Amino acid sequence: MGSAAPLLDVQGVTIQYKTSAQLVTATWRVGFQADRSDRLVLLGPSGCGKSTLLKAIGGYLTPTEGEITLSGRTISGPGPDRVMVFQETDQLLPWKTVLQNVAFALTASGRASGQNADEQAMIAIRTVKLEKFADSYPHTLSGGMKQRVAIARCLAMQPEIVLMDEPFAALDALTRQQMQEELLELWSRSQFTLIFVTHSIEEAILLGNRIVLLSPHPGQVKEIMDVNLDDPGNRFHGRFDELRDTIHRVLFKDVGDYVI
Amino acid sequence: MSFEKSAAITRDLSGISREATAFRSHGQPTDQAISEIVRPLSRAEKIWNQAIVRKSLILVLLAIAWQVYAQQLNNPLMFPTFTDTTAALWNAFTKGELGSRVLVSLRILLSGYGIGVLLATVLAALANATRPGNDLLEVLTAMFNPLPPIALLPLALLWFGLGNGSITFVLVHAVLWPVALSTHSGFASISGTIRMVGRNYGLTGLRYLLHILIPAAFPAILTGLKNGWAFAWRTLIAAELVFGVSSGSGGIGWFIYENKNQLEIAYVFAGLLTVIAIGVTMDSLFRLVERRTINRWGMKF
Ligand SMILES: Nc1ncnc2c1ncn2[C@@H]1O[C@H](COP(=O)(O)OP(=O)(O)OP(=O)(O)O)[C@@H](O)[C@H]1O
Ligand SMILES: [Mg+2]
Repeated sequence: MGSAAPLLDVQGVTIQYKTSAQLVTATWRVGFQADRSDRLVLLGPSGCGKSTLLKAIGGYLTPTEGEITLSGRTISGPGPDRVMVFQETDQLLPWKTVLQNVAFALTASGRASGQNADEQAMIAIRTVKLEKFADSYPHTLSGGMKQRVAIARCLAMQPEIVLMDEPFAALDALTRQQMQEELLELWSRSQFTLIFVTHSIEEAILLGNRIVLLSPHPGQVKEIMDVNLDDPGNRFHGRFDELRDTIHRVLFKDVGDYVI
Repeated sequence: MSFEKSAAITRDLSGISREATAFRSHGQPTDQAISEIVRPLSRAEKIWNQAIVRKSLILVLLAIAWQVYAQQLNNPLMFPTFTDTTAALWNAFTKGELGSRVLVSLRILLSGYGIGVLLATVLAALANATRPGNDLLEVLTAMFNPLPPIALLPLALLWFGLGNGSITFVLVHAVLWPVALSTHSGFASISGTIRMVGRNYGLTGLRYLLHILIPAAFPAILTGLKNGWAFAWRTLIAAELVFGVSSGSGGIGWFIYENKNQLEIAYVFAGLLTVIAIGVTMDSLFRLVERRTINRWGMKF
C-alpha cells in the first residue's frame, strides 16, 4: 500500500468472551486508525471494552469478527513491537530488581544483550527519575513508582506502538499530573505511537491528539475526535473546556435525553 | 496467687501512670527519663535473645537428662548413655563405615530426588500448557499422592530386584507427586498480567517456562521441594531398614538395622542421630534458600 496507509488499522472488530455459562460481547464492530506518532486515546465508561480492545491490539485476544493490522500485517500474537503497560500494579517481575526488570525485557526480546542492555535500561530508568531505586525489588516500591518502572521498561524496548491501559488510574491526583507531564515530555522526545486507555475525560484531552469515544457495553465507536491542541498537556488551554463539554455531551447523550 | 499477681500488675501500672503525669508536668522530658525508656540491652540480654542460644541450651539440658537417666538405668543394651553414643558416633565416622554409609544414602536420595523433580516439572509444564495434560496430572496426583511410597516397595522389589533400582523407584514416587501437585498449583496461581508480560517479550516454550513460569511460581515450588525432600528422606531410611543390603553397600538405614542385630545399641543411636542431623541440615538449607529468594522478593505468602 501507499504511504497513506495507517500504522495501526482496526476494522470492524467484534470481540466476545466465552465463559462456561455465557457468551459476552465486549466490543461490537469497532473501527479506528492510528498513524505513526499519534497519541490515540480510547475513552469510555467502565466495562465498555477498552482493555479488551487494547489486549486485542497487543495480540492476547483474537477478534471473532474484523481484523487488526499493523503496517498492513494482521496481528496474530503478542510481540515486542507492541509493548503494553498494564493497569495492574503486579506487572513487574517480583524476582528481579528494577534494573533487572528493564534489562531483562531487552535481553528476552532480543533488543540488546549483556552490558549493553544494562546501559540502555539505566538510561530508561533515569528518564522516569528512578535511578536511586535501580537495585530495589518491586515490592519495596510504591504503586506510582512501580508504574513508572513499567513505563521505563516499555520505553526502553522502543516498540513501534506503546499500549497503556489506565496506567495512572491508581495514582493520587498530584502524582498522576506529574506522570502525565512526564509522558508527554517523553513522547515529544521520541515521538512513539501511543494507544492510551482511560475513562477520564480530562486525561483524554490532555494526552491525546485523537480520541475514540466508546459507548457503554458492548463497546461501539460513538465518535472519533481530532484534538490537535497546539500545546498538549496544557490544562488552561482555551479549547479545553469546550472539548470537555463536547465529549461529555457525546458520551452521555442517551443518558441525558430525559432532561429535555 | 493470681489475685496477688494482678494486684502487682495494677501497682505497676499505677506506677507508670504516676511517672507519665510527672513527665507531663515537667513539659520537657529530661535526658534521664529518656535513658530509662530507651535503654540498650545488656550483653546477657542480647545473647539470650538469640534463638540459637536458647535452643542450644535445650539441647544441652536434653543431653544431660539422657546421660543421667541412662546411667541410672545402667542397661547399655536398651538405652546407652549419651557419652557412649557420642563415642560410638565418633568411632563409626573415623574408624567405621558410617561416613561411606551416609554417602551411599545421599547418593541414592539425590538421584531419586532429581529424577522425581524433573518428572514433576515436565508433568506440571504439560499441565500448564494443555488441557489433557492438566487432566492427566490431576488424575495421577489424586491417585498416587495418597499412596504411601513404602507400600510400593514389594512391587519394586519384584520389578527391579534387590538393589538401588528399587529404592530409586520408591523415592521417585515419594518426590514426584507432592512436587508436581504444588508446582501445578503454583503455575495455576500466576497472575494473567505476569503471563502476558512474559509473552509480550516474545518468550515461548522452554524460555517462557524457565524465565517466567518457574520463578513466578517459586513460592509454591519451594514448598513442594521441601515437602518432597522430607517425604523422600523418611522413605529412604525406611526402605533401607527393610532391605538395604544391596551389593554389600547399604545406607544409613541398613547401618542401623545391622547394628541392632549385633546388639551394638550405641551405634544404633549414633545412626539415628546422624539421620536427625542430616534432616536438620537440609531443613536449614531450605530455609536459607527461602531467605535468599522469596523473602527477598517479597513473594512470601
Ligand atoms: N475474561 C473475561 N471473561 C468474560 N468476560 C469478560 C472478561 N474480561 C472482560 N469481560 C467483559 O467484557 C466487557 C469489557 O471488559 P473490559 O475489561 O474490556 O472493560 P473496560 O472498558 O476496560 O473497563 P474498565 O474501565 O473498568 O477497565 C465487560 O462487560 C466484561 O464483563
Ligand atoms: Mg480496563
